Amino acid sequence: MDRPPPPAPAPSSAPTPLLDRRLVIVTGKGGTGKTTIAAALALAASRAGKRVLAAETGPDEHLARLLAPGSPPVGYLGRELLPGLRVMRIDPFEALSEYLGLQIGAPRLVRRMLSNRAFHQLMAASPGWRELITLGKLWHLEQMTDGQGRPSWDLIVVDAPATGHGVAFLNVPSVVASAVRSGPLRRHSQAVEDLLKDPARTLLLPVTLPEELPTRETTELVKRLRDEAGIAIDRVVVNCIVPQPFPTGLAELDAALARLSPQLRCGELPSAGALTHCASFLRGRHDLSLTHIDLVGELTGLPLVHLPFLATGVTGPDTLEILSRGLVAAEAYAR
Amino acid sequence: MTPKAFAASILLDNRITVCVGCGGVGKTTVAASLALEAARRGRRALVLTIDPARRLADALGVEALGNQPQQLSRATLEALGVPAEGELSALMLDMKRTFDDLVARFAESEESRRSILENPIYQHASEALAGSVEYSAMEKVYEVWKNGDYDLIVVDTPPAQHALDFLDAPQRLIEFLESRIVQILIHPAMAAGRFGFRIFQQGTRRVLGLIERVSGISFLEDISEFLLAFEGMSAGFRQRALQVRSLLTGPQSRFVLVTGPSDESVLQANQFRRRLEGQGIELTGVLANRVCLWPDGPVPDEIEASPEDLQTLARALAEANGSDLPSEAAARAAVDAARGYAARVRRDARATRELREMMLSQGSFWGEIPEQSLDVHDLNGLLRIARAIFGEEEFSRGDRV
Repeated sequence: MDRPPPPAPAPSSAPTPLLDRRLVIVTGKGGTGKTTIAAALALAASRAGKRVLAAETGPDEHLARLLAPGSPPVGYLGRELLPGLRVMRIDPFEALSEYLGLQIGAPRLVRRMLSNRAFHQLMAASPGWRELITLGKLWHLEQMTDGQGRPSWDLIVVDAPATGHGVAFLNVPSVVASAVRSGPLRRHSQAVEDLLKDPARTLLLPVTLPEELPTRETTELVKRLRDEAGIAIDRVVVNCIVPQPFPTGLAELDAALARLSPQLRCGELPSAGALTHCASFLRGRHDLSLTHIDLVGELTGLPLVHLPFLATGVTGPDTLEILSRGLVAAEAYAR
Repeated sequence: MTPKAFAASILLDNRITVCVGCGGVGKTTVAASLALEAARRGRRALVLTIDPARRLADALGVEALGNQPQQLSRATLEALGVPAEGELSALMLDMKRTFDDLVARFAESEESRRSILENPIYQHASEALAGSVEYSAMEKVYEVWKNGDYDLIVVDTPPAQHALDFLDAPQRLIEFLESRIVQILIHPAMAAGRFGFRIFQQGTRRVLGLIERVSGISFLEDISEFLLAFEGMSAGFRQRALQVRSLLTGPQSRFVLVTGPSDESVLQANQFRRRLEGQGIELTGVLANRVCLWPDGPVPDEIEASPEDLQTLARALAEANGSDLPSEAAARAAVDAARGYAARVRRDARATRELREMMLSQGSFWGEIPEQSLDVHDLNGLLRIARAIFGEEEFSRGDRV
């Protein structure tokens, strides 16, 4: 892996706290738990009294299931699942219909056209517009105000596509803005790009695992989106860290157990072989965690938010809460 | 038949094995292990990968290899227990190039080939045209299969947002090329005369015109030119796409779903399975990767540790390690570690139970690959995975299925 130049000296002012942004875009390699982290962040913000919108961008709904198990689909209009926390799924066709309706001023004509099979096929095969319209919708949501002129949402959390798609996803507005010289599309793409590149409003939050492949992808992501595209990234979430499994003074417990005969059984306890297996497994995963925590910190030059592996799995708000607290508690460290 | 013999009989007979599953579950590694095991049984095997980990790519020798299969050296294969008649090759897909090759093959003339490859819409579309990435992978499988150089081809499918893009892609491409809107764009005059859907047309024109006006891109002009150039080859394309699809859905192909052991992974695996079944494709089996398994027999519900048992363990530890080891603390820590590991084992068992029972009840294959304490990105790691699925037997001396 290429080493980046040494990280720039820390800016004199403290970075904006996580929950004080307007738009936090959560991304990461498949399997790193980015959806779970997006849900945990939305939960943390709503517990802190914010009005939060959590938006999915994939074809399936997962956020609602984590935040309110058993709830029916939330759809494009979304639903308030917890006090102050609304969840929606941005379907690109719905967003296109809304956008063209506003632009052309004839929503019914637009609806009829979009429901036409042939037009659908053309759009299904056309590149780029899904990303643009999804980001455009996020911009629109960010701009929305209530009756008193306050923003409708304090914080919008986006569960963005996985890394490979995510980089292309976030690059679309700047491609469009640079290719198109004038007109509404140019203005709108520019507005979306301005939002994405405004560090006071927007933060990209990469989620990774302390393993080889995610470390590599995260390093690549930071390089492409922060260094090249200019989107603010001020920390990396390292999920599923395996903690030190043995107490102080017993760092070599696995080796000590391995000196016993594997068949040895002490009463009702598992065999010495089984005890050795358990200890050396946890030791191995812990060492792997440490190696890759160091590596991702070194390669990205960013502060890390450490989140633990949860043996119970994440099944609903109770377990999500542990991760929420971890994300917010990390503020002190990230600062 | 033992489960491991069953695994060999259905996963390694001479066919195409398509490994499907969500991103991050270890599909690439599992696909490579299946191909390695086939080679160890004296087969000529190929693994077609999309985006291998760098160390695995290095180990397989597929760094930047020009979209063609690369064979592992005889010495490497011997060290892995592959007999003389066995072969293992790897191919890393270059999607853009595969698609370009396809255009070159079906273009009517050099001029039309060039006009397609240089068209701005094509240059964007060949990467982003819905499913073209996935289509390229399947197209490459077809090409390699037809050449007949391999007994077994294992395919690692690209991570897709829509899990089945690779399967739908040929169909969608055909539908798109044959769609009325494409016909209108190619032959506006003819369409206006013959088709009775003027309202649609007006609406479409209005919107396309709007897109053109607001975007400042000569959208209609570029797309018409692209489609016109494409039209000449659409018959060849269509036929090829149908052949690819029938190869994938025919008896010579089988689908293996790779999943992780967490609730999240299993849930996505189930969505995947239902969509495959919706396409009339039945899974040959599921390989649950990175599952924590209890080392001897079923995992205990609880690990009881009476003071007497802890004392016995502490004495044994002291005896084996000398007096430097705080043996009583060590005994307690060993039990804590076992409890921590057992919790993982129970979590994985709970998350996978339903899918496992379903697969077994319908006579499909269910395999579990234990979580390793290290990352698996080298050839020995592949060997460990192969052993977990197919057992420890030595196959290098003529012992084949």
